Amino acid sequence: MPPRPLLLLAALWCGAACTSAPGPDTLTYYYYSEPRSLDPALSTDVPTGEVVAMLYDNLTQFDVEGRLGPGLATRWETDPSGRVYTFHLRTDARFHDGRPVTARDVRASYLRALAPGTQSGRAWPLDPILHARSYAAGDTSAVPAIAVPDDSTVVITLEQPLNVFPKLLAMPVAAIVPAGADARFGDHPVGSGPWRFVSWLHDHALVLARNPDYWGPVPLADTLRIRILPEALTQAAEYESGRLSVVEIPFGETRLWERRRPAELQRRPALRVFYIAINTTRGPLRDVRVRRALNHAVDIPTILARLMGGRGTLSAGALPPSLPGFDSSRTRYAYDPARALALLAEAGFPRGFTLRLWRSQRPEYARVAQAVQQDLAAVGVRVEIVERDAASARAAARKGETDLFITDWYGDYPDPENFNFPLFHSRNRGPGGNLAFLADSALDRLIERARRTMDPREKEALDREIDRRVFELAPWIFCWFPEDLWAVQPDVKGWRIPAIFNGQRWNTVQRTR
Amino acid sequence: MIRFLGVRLALLAPTLFGVLAVAFLLLYVAPGDPVQAMVGERADSATIARLRAELRLDDPLSRQFHHYLSAAARGDLGRSYVTRRPILGDLLERFPATLRLAAAAMLFASLTGIAIGVYGAWRPGSLPDRLATLAAYLGISFPVYWVGLILILVFAVTLRWFPPSGSSGWAALVLPALTLGMRSVAFLARVSRTAMQEVLQSDFIRTARAQGLPERAVVLSRGLRNALLPVLTVLGLDFGSYLTGSILTETIFGWPGVGRYVLDAIGKRDLPAVQGSVLFLSLVFVLVNLITDLLYAKADPRVVYD
Repeated sequence: MPPRPLLLLAALWCGAACTSAPGPDTLTYYYYSEPRSLDPALSTDVPTGEVVAMLYDNLTQFDVEGRLGPGLATRWETDPSGRVYTFHLRTDARFHDGRPVTARDVRASYLRALAPGTQSGRAWPLDPILHARSYAAGDTSAVPAIAVPDDSTVVITLEQPLNVFPKLLAMPVAAIVPAGADARFGDHPVGSGPWRFVSWLHDHALVLARNPDYWGPVPLADTLRIRILPEALTQAAEYESGRLSVVEIPFGETRLWERRRPAELQRRPALRVFYIAINTTRGPLRDVRVRRALNHAVDIPTILARLMGGRGTLSAGALPPSLPGFDSSRTRYAYDPARALALLAEAGFPRGFTLRLWRSQRPEYARVAQAVQQDLAAVGVRVEIVERDAASARAAARKGETDLFITDWYGDYPDPENFNFPLFHSRNRGPGGNLAFLADSALDRLIERARRTMDPREKEALDREIDRRVFELAPWIFCWFPEDLWAVQPDVKGWRIPAIFNGQRWNTVQRTR
Repeated sequence: MIRFLGVRLALLAPTLFGVLAVAFLLLYVAPGDPVQAMVGERADSATIARLRAELRLDDPLSRQFHHYLSAAARGDLGRSYVTRRPILGDLLERFPATLRLAAAAMLFASLTGIAIGVYGAWRPGSLPDRLATLAAYLGISFPVYWVGLILILVFAVTLRWFPPSGSSGWAALVLPALTLGMRSVAFLARVSRTAMQEVLQSDFIRTARAQGLPERAVVLSRGLRNALLPVLTVLGLDFGSYLTGSILTETIFGWPGVGRYVLDAIGKRDLPAVQGSVLFLSLVFVLVNLITDLLYAKADPRVVYD
């Protein structure tokens, strides 16, 4: 037996970090940063949202193609008013501690996410529930609108009709936790999802194990290890060493990977739009002709091809091609400096003006900002680039202090509402997502109608109309819809890039030898 | 000696108070809002206002500072805005990883740096000396980031000797320790070379040689021991800075240490986490310096603290 100090030393050096190398039944994934918590109520960020989808179930959930399907609820129906939703729960679902999942757990989970003490900040998917907002503010102590007539039925009454509500319930914050979950839950999660929690060494790795009792497809692999790797080049190195099952390819590396490992690449149009917000309340930018001129002045096709590896589809609106309401027949503002000059002269700015373009420190934004600056200079618009870290740049844009702001919008759920409402409704100016500070009453009314209607055909027509109106008002310099590009190890089967971030639950993925 | 220790420890409190006051003010004037970072991309003003009130962010600065100080004095660094976990626990969880990396980097840096320096002083102008000097300059000049990536590319991806990142087991320690220690190697080599050269010209070395001691004993036992004093200072300072986290190295190698924790906290405007880290790391730095001073006295009997 070794002397005690040696043992101590070994323990200190090795610590909890010493783990065996991943075996053949282990899948290895990664996040670029730590999940905020494993508590669904605190899921603000993508890593938390993704891991919540593995550990927990929702009443409804998205599959890998982004289609909404049954989760803990096998079916649901709406009353004619569109305000009352009845969800019928499956009876064979159990939490990882063996307790059955009941309607009472559903109500407790929603109340917990809304409760003031939880400090979630992200419970907005539950806000449409009648009196949810006043409960969150601490003004009422109960939400009778979430009714539980029996163990397997939940009846939810909304403030107003809202057709996307079943999709909102598939969001991470609406995941179902056992009633009575306390504050320590974030480190000791108990869900009912395909994977159970094993360990979490912060900033290093999360380990999940197959839940053999899962009511849905039981994971094919034994273990899912999720490493925390902030640096893109390290991620690539880990993948090339065979230590990651999949890796996302940065835009700047696209050509390199296409040349070196074409057989391992997988693509999917992302539910995401890259754009430059024009603050429609500032100076010359109040004039729609000026905003259209800016759209004509910037050579977006060249920027996409040269700076982003051509990974994306040019946009003539805000709705990505995969969503109903997308209009493929619309032609974008063509790159036409002469037309831009004419529009500027017509608006009374023949000699241009000066703008400040804000961007965060992401390297791809730096190059785009320079290209935009150059193109706008050619039509007499002088651009001063302001570079800040992500938090500061976003704070400035939300306060309306930026003229132009380079940014993007990731879909939370695949529905046009998730673009039209936050990005363009006047109620969401600033922090809500409307960074153009667009306030157009006709547009607002259209958006409200599209949210209320229970007729899918009418909804699609309205969404198309909204996107057309947005395009005409030119609150953005319309850029492109990015394309996701991932590499998958040759021995990893069954993995697809999910259409929505929480649509890949890794239960149908396996390694073959 | 006891009195010296007492004075130094008594000075600790005002030092940390100053550090904290500056950190508090800087964060207060820095742009960006912690609540905006908490709520993510889509939020409404009512939620933001409610969270601000719950986190007491609307209190006057003086009251916030007072509130923080009184809690910190009781050893309570508060909870992270983002994760809701106690900050002291988060730091203590990550500190062993930082300690492990710092110790390994220091071991590598001191062994190589001092060896290069001593050899250079003993045979100045020789080919190995000139090569080592060149290498030392390069080591200082290359950015850590670049060195780290090159090491990963060569030793992990191409040769597959070590894992590219992670902190599981001994092998994973090698590349980050080399990356982190590189800068110190160069500096230690320069300092020990100069110190050694001076010592080798002194009278007691001539005496030792005249007494017929073998050259190895002259250089290593008589010379090195006396040349080590300035080296010790450099070691102490570098070790102190390693222990306070090495943001770049930890980021490149996915090392779960305090440096990344601080970087994350700054990026998310997690004010209590940043303040708690600054306080904790300042304490570590001051203590390492204190220990260095004590070792200095031990190594050189001429140094007397009073």
